[in-house]
Amino acid sequence: MSLVHSPFLMFLVSIVAGFIGAMSGMGGGIVLIPALTLVGIGIKHAIAISIVSVIATSSGAASAYVRDGVTNLKVGMFLEMFTIVGAIVGAAVTIAAGNKVLFIAFGLVLLFSWGTLFVRKHSDTHYNRPADRISTWLEHHGSYYDHAVGETITYQGRRSYIGGPCMFGAGFIAGLLGIGAGALKVLILDLAMGLPPKVSTTTSNLIIGVTALAGTSVYIAAGYVDPGLAAPVILGVVPGALLGTRLLRRLTNRAIRNFFLVVLLLLGIEMLLRGFGFFGG
Amino acid sequence: MTESRSSHVSPPIVPQTREEIDERRMELMVGYLLLAGVILSQISLLLGLILDYVEHGTIRLAYLIKGMNYFQFLTRDILALGGPHVWGARTFVNLGIALLMFTPFIRVVASVFFFALEERNIKYTIFTFFVAAVLTYSLFLR
Repeated sequence: MSLVHSPFLMFLVSIVAGFIGAMSGMGGGIVLIPALTLVGIGIKHAIAISIVSVIATSSGAASAYVRDGVTNLKVGMFLEMFTIVGAIVGAAVTIAAGNKVLFIAFGLVLLFSWGTLFVRKHSDTHYNRPADRISTWLEHHGSYYDHAVGETITYQGRRSYIGGPCMFGAGFIAGLLGIGAGALKVLILDLAMGLPPKVSTTTSNLIIGVTALAGTSVYIAAGYVDPGLAAPVILGVVPGALLGTRLLRRLTNRAIRNFFLVVLLLLGIEMLLRGFGFFGG
Repeated sequence: MTESRSSHVSPPIVPQTREEIDERRMELMVGYLLLAGVILSQISLLLGLILDYVEHGTIRLAYLIKGMNYFQFLTRDILALGGPHVWGARTFVNLGIALLMFTPFIRVVASVFFFALEERNIKYTIFTFFVAAVLTYSLFLR
């Protein structure tokens, strides 16, 4: 066994990936996969390992969010119907696809997610607009206590009929690239369904775990999951992400965050270049 | 996860209506199921890697699950228990991954029962049942 596939190295790389992923808000997988390909793991194997680890980071974070009462379980469970089907289709496409296409797709999605970090989410309290009949029928409303403002926020979800089909797309990307695709899911919950930012991020997190499981099953069946490599990765990503989330709350130093944002941008460009045949693909 | 939880204090919303009480119970059930699954899985994976290190002086687990579905993968090593070298590093690693995969799955299955028996919400019983069915199908893929 080469040094490249050393579990210790996998473990260290995963801690850093989980940490940067959580700190930047991009999620563990999107940093993990480029990092794994850089240490010599094939992109399809990297995607397969990553999607298993996404179950862990998502479930770990979701357990706390759900108990806090911010996550909207009904919105989440409705949208899961679409994401899991998308994830199975996406994973099947990856297994059949060429490596270069995957590098390009990954680079594009990474850069897109990177861009959404700078999009200002609407922050006004306009979450009480009258709902359409479908969203009302689906019971997509809720309330949560916001510690920052010290009051209970009630909200009404809208346009669930747009959110559902869009979530098929988000699930497809998650299964295709082995990531949580959290940035995309939050965008759908926020822009299409008009949910408050806190509800969007925590509900997205809940959906990610089930979506990743659907994708994982396909990769396991196809023989792309190497448990010996996945184990140190999962063990690294979870504490890394935990640390990143803790630090995110306290960190006031913009310079450190900006440094990681530049690292992410470079990773995206690097993936694209590899897809187009530079660095030997 | 750009949004951070600002406090660990549980929200001071006191559930009042029947729907709110159901919702709160469901949140606690789902939350603790996920937490237990992740912790157990992490422990099992860690045990596996430690055992491998103790046995071989290095960690050198490398094998693929090929041509097998999740249930076959899960039962293979466990069925072989009792034989030599079996209840070792690999079993714990396999169990760790299996527990991890079970975590969201059990959450969905528990939700089906919750919506059906506790909240008596037919819509959401059907929705969660669909999710559980698709996941079960995907777990049996090979």
